[in-house]
Amino acid sequence: MSSMYLSEHERARLRRVWVAMMVSLALLALQLWRIQVGQGERYETSLEQQSIRRVQIPGPRGRIFDRHGVCLADNRPNYCVALYLEELRVAGKRWVSVGDAWKLIQRVAAVIGLEPQLTRTKVESHLDNRKALPLIAWRRVDVPVLARLSEASILLPVVDVMVDADRVYPQGASASHLLGYVGTVERGNEENGYHSYWPDMVGKGGMEQRYDELLRGEPGGRLVRVDVSGFKHDQIGFRDPVPGGDLVLTLDGAIQRSAEKAMADVVGAVVVIDPRNGDVLALASSPGFDPNTFSPSISVETWTRMLEDSRKPLFNRAISGRYAPGSIFKPLVALAALESGKANARGSFDCQGYYEIGGQRFSCYEGEIHGRLDIRRALELSCNVFFYQLGLQCGLDPIYHLALAVGLGQQTGIDLDNETAGLLPGKAWKRIARGETWRDGDTCNLAIGQGALLVTPLQMAMVTATIANGGVVYQPRLVLSTRSRNSTEFQEVPPVRIRTLRWSSDHLALVKKGMRDVIQNPSGTGHLACLPDVIMAGKTGTAEYGRKGQGHCHGWMVLFAPYDQPRYAVAMVMDDAITGGVSIGPRMRQLMQEVLNRAGEEHG
Amino acid sequence: MMARWSFHSWKRLDWIMVTIVALLMAIGILFVFSADSRTGNPAVGPLYQKQLVWMAVGLVCFFVMALSDYHQWIRMAWWLYGAALVMLVLVFVPHVGVKIFGATRWIQVAGLWVFQPAELMKLAVVLVLARLFGWPGQSLRHGRIVLLGLALVLAPLVLIVKQPDLGTAIIFLPVLVAVMYAAGVPGRILVPLVTAGGLVVVLVLAVIVIPPKLGWNEARQERLIRMIGLNPYQRDRILVFVDSDRDPLGTGWNKAQSQIAIGSGRFWGKGYMQGTQNILGFLPRTVAPNDFIFSVIAEEKGFMGSMTVLMLFALMIHLGLRVAAVASDKIGRLLCVGIVTILFCHVFVNIAMTIGVLPITGIPLPLISYGGTFMIGTMTALGMMQSVYIWGDWR
Repeated sequence: MSSMYLSEHERARLRRVWVAMMVSLALLALQLWRIQVGQGERYETSLEQQSIRRVQIPGPRGRIFDRHGVCLADNRPNYCVALYLEELRVAGKRWVSVGDAWKLIQRVAAVIGLEPQLTRTKVESHLDNRKALPLIAWRRVDVPVLARLSEASILLPVVDVMVDADRVYPQGASASHLLGYVGTVERGNEENGYHSYWPDMVGKGGMEQRYDELLRGEPGGRLVRVDVSGFKHDQIGFRDPVPGGDLVLTLDGAIQRSAEKAMADVVGAVVVIDPRNGDVLALASSPGFDPNTFSPSISVETWTRMLEDSRKPLFNRAISGRYAPGSIFKPLVALAALESGKANARGSFDCQGYYEIGGQRFSCYEGEIHGRLDIRRALELSCNVFFYQLGLQCGLDPIYHLALAVGLGQQTGIDLDNETAGLLPGKAWKRIARGETWRDGDTCNLAIGQGALLVTPLQMAMVTATIANGGVVYQPRLVLSTRSRNSTEFQEVPPVRIRTLRWSSDHLALVKKGMRDVIQNPSGTGHLACLPDVIMAGKTGTAEYGRKGQGHCHGWMVLFAPYDQPRYAVAMVMDDAITGGVSIGPRMRQLMQEVLNRAGEEHG
Repeated sequence: MMARWSFHSWKRLDWIMVTIVALLMAIGILFVFSADSRTGNPAVGPLYQKQLVWMAVGLVCFFVMALSDYHQWIRMAWWLYGAALVMLVLVFVPHVGVKIFGATRWIQVAGLWVFQPAELMKLAVVLVLARLFGWPGQSLRHGRIVLLGLALVLAPLVLIVKQPDLGTAIIFLPVLVAVMYAAGVPGRILVPLVTAGGLVVVLVLAVIVIPPKLGWNEARQERLIRMIGLNPYQRDRILVFVDSDRDPLGTGWNKAQSQIAIGSGRFWGKGYMQGTQNILGFLPRTVAPNDFIFSVIAEEKGFMGSMTVLMLFALMIHLGLRVAAVASDKIGRLLCVGIVTILFCHVFVNIAMTIGVLPITGIPLPLISYGGTFMIGTMTALGMMQSVYIWGDWR
């Protein structure tokens, strides 16, 4: 058998390839002989004592702090009782029966005085799928149980205590929407599932979800050899757990609590922004929930109750609520009219309590008659008729573009999921959504913040911040700094300036003065919010919702303080208000008093 | 395109070879069944059933290849190579490439079948090398042709390392060396080439092993590792090989458990489906049916079992090289040498890794490990070898 053309040289080379491969395989055979027959005994014993136990050490989830370093989300150790079921294996039998395992659980239960937390089917599925890993039979046992367990030494070979971490929120329900909560999922990834036996903690909602990747820890582990009586005697291997990264929020825990207190008895939302950099100092939505109820797991009743509550406690109104702004939109209309040159500072209009266009009558609030007004006075009294006329004189475009420039109708880009953009209606929107052309009546409605216009409390707080800081539009900053998993240093997150609007300082000053009068003048609509020793400026709003004429109103108030050098810009909204000034004014006053007092303490 | 077919030549098939293939596949099915028996995951369905389907497809490929003239594949070699190269690039295109366990090695065909282009590339490279070095009248005395061969191998190699699949990539180098050697490339060209390659390997190992000993911090080490085109996890695997106590819970776990499994099998094994390492899940079930199938065999059938498998492969390699010797032309001979080298590398690296002689690389055992593309690729290659045999001068 040989090819005719194959030269001796080529044949020799082929033979050498053959020899090389066969020698290699022979070496493998030799090594196999050594392992399987020569030293097999060694491996056999190491198998007999697969009482090498793999103990997992949880990598704790990172923590969340407020701007002053107060801890908002932390971990608490959770002691578990684990059973090594393979110790039950009788010589000659391959399987540990569910019956035997169950009997063991009953026995341990009697010793430690706790009812079994597992069902028989859970035990069965563990035996089917993860036999080599310990079965966690009791979680969250307390110290007396641990003591009883350590006394019952007969159980030692099969029982062990392990420690896992639970998520806790030391501030309770405070900032719940912002922080979110955690849930557990069984690992989807099989490869990891083999190596770990704690269910994974996963952030749901808020920062826990948004920064899940950063916060998540990496479990480590130990390989421990145990002797027949279960005493751990040497550690064969160790891998350090890596705690998750930390998060420092711009939030001020005290302001947050004050904001929540101001809203405690009503449905609504409050946002406090630092106008100098866009920092979110407080972001509250009422009613809230206690994220601790989710950890370790939430009961079915509590969960259904939350879902069925008509006030929707899980809903973050501050960023997802869509409200008509009503009169708090008027400062923007005034600015747009002035900046576009369609109106001047001394311009004035008459108010006889109503205004007619195209046969339709638009009335002033509750039919009040304000007489002749200029812009500043119209802001103070929140005269609708004045703004109908101002809006018409100015036209849609300047108002639309200014509203767009300050960020309405778009997401602010805050670091949270489920932020709504709201709705800024314009000509194109009307044509597409309603199939109609834009009419003067629409401009009138827009000029008093009604009609199709929808905003979020966060958007209005940002707009107020922009007015307060002289035209800088920031992206709301929620995270002050982060520390990633493998680092020890915190990395600062710089504030983001989206754009700077070049407003004439005269125009801005006029609008600001109007807003100051709202609070400071006894006749101003927001005078109930006035504090004795600090000058503030703001605007109230009352916007109807639901069916017309039923009298359901959102009360609004925006405010910035102190007037000369604003450090706080606030937006507050609540359901079922009488008017913004009456219902929100006192709450705003209470909030600002606490905020400014606290600030005073810090500075003084 | 199917110019030359030889349906009537089925009688000239090498029936010993066919028997070996059948035996290895039977062993494969038995132990994939054993390794998979404890998963109890009804959603996936038993792996052995899927493997049976792959085997059927593989057998069809085998006979189609065996009964067709291999020269037509040689004629298409450049096209196949180009197509495989394009697919290796496509792996990195989002939505086309599929990521499984952190490696993008698969592409999706019609949203149904995920397919590993690296397997096709192995065949394409052998075809293209056989054509290049086996072309009648091709002079092998110049370095130029050797450089071209090197380039043809390095292009896919780099792409596959990037996937990252270091194990598969490494296999291309011995294939190149073996084909060039069998083709008659003179020693004065081959020796420096192999030496240079060896030096590169030593250098890479040095880069991996020395910095931790010097106490460099992790970030600095990682930068260096990335500079030479490796991933930190590949470094870890090599380090675990060098120092098996390094990470006994992670990468080292599989290695240690595999060694315990094989060692505890002793001479006769614990009996089919009786391997405690296997049944109790100390051998992770994600790797037992594919990369570590040999450990399952060695545990349950002992030294006799592992020898049986090893002998069957040795016989297969012997027969393959015999086909090379009787091939009717140089192209056929080089084709066989290339295919045999691929098979040999898989067998050697896989078994060596399970017994702890080589780092864990994730290279499957031909015809036995679970896996679709690899089964089909292996059967196609074996079929081509049969074609060389059928058309060879052996009467």
